[in-house]
Amino acid sequence: MQPSSRMKLLTLCLSAAVFLAWVSVPVTVQSQEVAVGQATATVLAALVVTSIQDLNFGDILQGVPSSADIDVVAEAADFSVVGSGGSEVALYLQLPEYLWNTTNTDRMQIAFASTDCDIDANVGTAATKVAPVTVDPYNLPATTLHAVSNILHVYLAGSVYPAVDQAVGAYSADIVLTAAYTGN
Amino acid sequence: MDVVKSNPSPRKRFFRRGIIILAILALAPLLQLSASVLVAPTAVFLSDADRTGRMTIQNPTDKPKEVSIFFSFGLPESDSLGNVQVLLQDSGVTDTRSAVDWLKAFPRKMVLAPGATQVVRFVARPPKDLPDGEYWARIVVRSQESQTSLPSQAGDDKITTKLNMIIQTAIILKYRTGNLVAKLDVVDTQVVSLDSAVNIFVNMENRGNVSYVGILQGRLLDAKNREISTERINLAVYHSLIRRLHLPFAEGNFQKPYHVEIFITNEGRKDLDPQNMIVGNKILLTMAAD
Repeated sequence: MQPSSRMKLLTLCLSAAVFLAWVSVPVTVQSQEVAVGQATATVLAALVVTSIQDLNFGDILQGVPSSADIDVVAEAADFSVVGSGGSEVALYLQLPEYLWNTTNTDRMQIAFASTDCDIDANVGTAATKVAPVTVDPYNLPATTLHAVSNILHVYLAGSVYPAVDQAVGAYSADIVLTAAYTGN
Repeated sequence: MDVVKSNPSPRKRFFRRGIIILAILALAPLLQLSASVLVAPTAVFLSDADRTGRMTIQNPTDKPKEVSIFFSFGLPESDSLGNVQVLLQDSGVTDTRSAVDWLKAFPRKMVLAPGATQVVRFVARPPKDLPDGEYWARIVVRSQESQTSLPSQAGDDKITTKLNMIIQTAIILKYRTGNLVAKLDVVDTQVVSLDSAVNIFVNMENRGNVSYVGILQGRLLDAKNREISTERINLAVYHSLIRRLHLPFAEGNFQKPYHVEIFITNEGRKDLDPQNMIVGNKILLTMAAD
């Protein structure tokens, strides 16, 4: 066997072993065909986008605006992107203008200011940011993943403005974060 | 300049990828906490010789995830300051290099159990007489909680909110056919000297029929060619692109006049499989920095 072939075989075997060790934490039964596919794909590098914390305004009173604090873990939304360290990732947030109640009969305004987003290419939380850059959530800059920890965080705050006659109840809306490598 | 095919040793590639995998694994406990999706690989290549491809999607969390796959179009585009964005276009794509209309994914929707993995397959059905070159699309993997629970009210006069966090990962897909040429041209450069640094704006045009994927490196040098500072960034030019290099001045016994050296090459990309690289031209430029 050629040295390069041995290296490919060693790479495949080690990757499969590492990957199987990982996926064995949550116990699931998977076919051999799928397992081989996982190992082959994962060794080519992965991109993992995670919503670690939802944007949380807590309980809201009619007529009383409420804001989430971007430096409080339990309030600010926290997304993480993990991939190839040093690679640049384009980010885009789709933000709602209103939250709707469960019966779609009333809506509540939600707004995001130009300082309601921080990006930090470091391991941390909303309360322990290392080098945050404040950006406009409607115009996120492409950001480079940390060269060693391979990560970046996007933190998001915002405000809701309930009307004085806002119907009580539970309101919901979607926030979409899109991540894409720019350099391949 | 002669073109030399980039081919880092298998041992180096092995360790490099191992480091990336281990870093992601080290963060796996974090990923168990909430919504997340793992997508691999980060670029999919199809060709007229092999019109099918595959991608692996994993749910590393402890909750089921609803995942949908669709195609979009979005290339890295820059403003005049070299800031790059990728804006996805779901309809009305007029770029002749778009492959969106003739790609299919199987399956397109799925619910992934905690820890489960799904292989998604792609097939290209390009039109006949497709001109040589590379055609592009973005595979968008959209992931959200499969069961969204609204918060219960704390009292009769209370209002509660729930923001559903939806994640989209956009992966490049490239379809290649015929004779492939990677060729880049630098059409303009601007050097802007500041108090503490030099900014270089490099305006590039793709003259080939594939995306030019490589590295842009800038070096700030003194009169004796001693390096004062350097910056190296990844490059992917599909049509045209402006990138900014930021080269700070440094303390030291450097002699003026300073000058800047710009080097663009296909070699040295550590995040891509060399088998998928189309080797192209190299560019070396030198300009005054004062």
